[in-house]
Amino acid sequence: MKKSSPIFILKYCVFLIAVGITGCSEKSAEEPRPPMKTESLSSTPIEKTTPKPVVVTEKTRETYQWYCAQCHGIKGKGDGINAKFLTVPPRNHTKASYLETRTDEQFFEAIKFGGLSVGRAPCMPAWGNTLSDSTIHELVRYIRELCQCEAL
Amino acid sequence: MKIFNYLLMGGWLLCIPMPSHASLIQEKKCSECHRLSKDGNEKIGPDLFYAGNKFQASWLKQYLQNPVTIRSAGGTGDPDFLKGTQADSQRHPALSKKDAGQITQELMELILLDLPEKINHLEPLTKGQKAKIKYEFERTFSCISCHQSLNLAGKVRGGISGPSLVNAGNRLQARWVESWLKSPKTYSNKSRMPIYKMADETRLRLTQFISTLKNENKR
Ligand code: HEC
Ligand code: HEC
Ligand code: HEC
Repeated sequence: MKKSSPIFILKYCVFLIAVGITGCSEKSAEEPRPPMKTESLSSTPIEKTTPKPVVVTEKTRETYQWYCAQCHGIKGKGDGINAKFLTVPPRNHTKASYLETRTDEQFFEAIKFGGLSVGRAPCMPAWGNTLSDSTIHELVRYIRELCQCEAL
Repeated sequence: MKIFNYLLMGGWLLCIPMPSHASLIQEKKCSECHRLSKDGNEKIGPDLFYAGNKFQASWLKQYLQNPVTIRSAGGTGDPDFLKGTQADSQRHPALSKKDAGQITQELMELILLDLPEKINHLEPLTKGQKAKIKYEFERTFSCISCHQSLNLAGKVRGGISGPSLVNAGNRLQARWVESWLKSPKTYSNKSRMPIYKMADETRLRLTQFISTLKNENKR
């Protein structure tokens, strides 16, 4: 952008404002993290009809490695191979101090419907067509295992 | 030297049934790293058994002579994929112009299914449509988190876990892109990309957007 003419930059900014975008990997137009939404998502109820306890299995870990580790890293530290190309860094799934402020329902929604659905960055894709609800519940448990924390 | 004679004869027998036009790929041992048919496990390089559906012949011919990096993190089946250590050091075997021409022909004959020709010739996107679909590419579907693409200033942006789409407009057939987005399972039952359900119209626009990504638009 440094060498672009001021007119081009102006046009570019106007365009960005016009369509309201700053992409996930657009470093020149950094998007501040949206303000934390800490109220529980009771307005969008999620079926709480999971009678049997959700268990993390070897398969859950494999699923995490296959899909999530691309961004969240092999150990869940938010340092996957895509991480340095994203404007908003992937969540560090081992950081208890943040993750305990989020509910399991918020995790579930973020995974199923994507970051935008819980007021988070769009860089986090939606997995609802790829993973079943029960797999997503397991992943939520697995993240709780990684951070060794529960929702406060 | 009886053994030698047997070997010679064996080789001679083996040669006869092989149709000469399908032989260069075999001779060059491409199948050590690529699946040329749907059977067997995924190999270290991307599948080529639907190459005739996927690639533009002109790109293939160029690539086989002067390979460039498309997956800077390596192939998704590579055991080191998640470590991100591959970088650009890996060089793909390069072929002479003549061999590249012949192998391109052979690859373009590897057809898995009939795809509608008309998708390769859709009307270009209007400016407004392009802005809208770019927004969806980046925000609605997070494609840019895993794929490199070009921003409005022509700069390369995006994640690297998926193949780079920076030159997709020269590299891939639009109708294959559309088909991949519609049913990735047709081509791979173990993809790391999320499955998307979107309106046909949206998928076509997305395909058209990807077709506009070309090296010559890079700045
Ligand atoms: C393409 C990169 C990418 C992939 C793949 C990905 N994520 Fe994320 N994820 C992100 C980013 C970026 C954020 C941070 C969003 C933010 O903080 O605004 C995030 C945030 C999250 C959050 C926290 C949401 C919150 O409440 O702050 C959870 C939970 C999560 N991801 C789970 C997963 C799971 C499970 C998978 C695998 C099925 C996965 N992610 C795959 C990029 C990714
Ligand atoms: C040592 C392993 C190896 C051998 C041998 C090999 N390839 Fe590859 N090939 C790869 C890898 C790995 C990639 C992915 C490179 C990338 O994406 O940057 C690749 C990429 C390709 C691509 C691009 C595919 C795509 O989807 O982007 C084509 C076409 C190709 N190879 C054809 C051939 C042909 C033809 C031969 C035989 C002459 C051959 N390869 C031999 C490893 C190999
Ligand atoms: C979480 C990461 C991720 C996201 C998000 C993602 N992809 Fe992919 N994509 C991949 C990977 C990885 C591959 C390589 C094949 C495989 O392993 O699935 C791929 C393959 C592709 C291919 C085939 C490229 C080739 O040369 O073989 C196209 C086209 C494509 N993606 C387009 C898209 C579009 C369009 C979107 C958004 C609607 C998208 N992708 C979102 C990871 C992703």
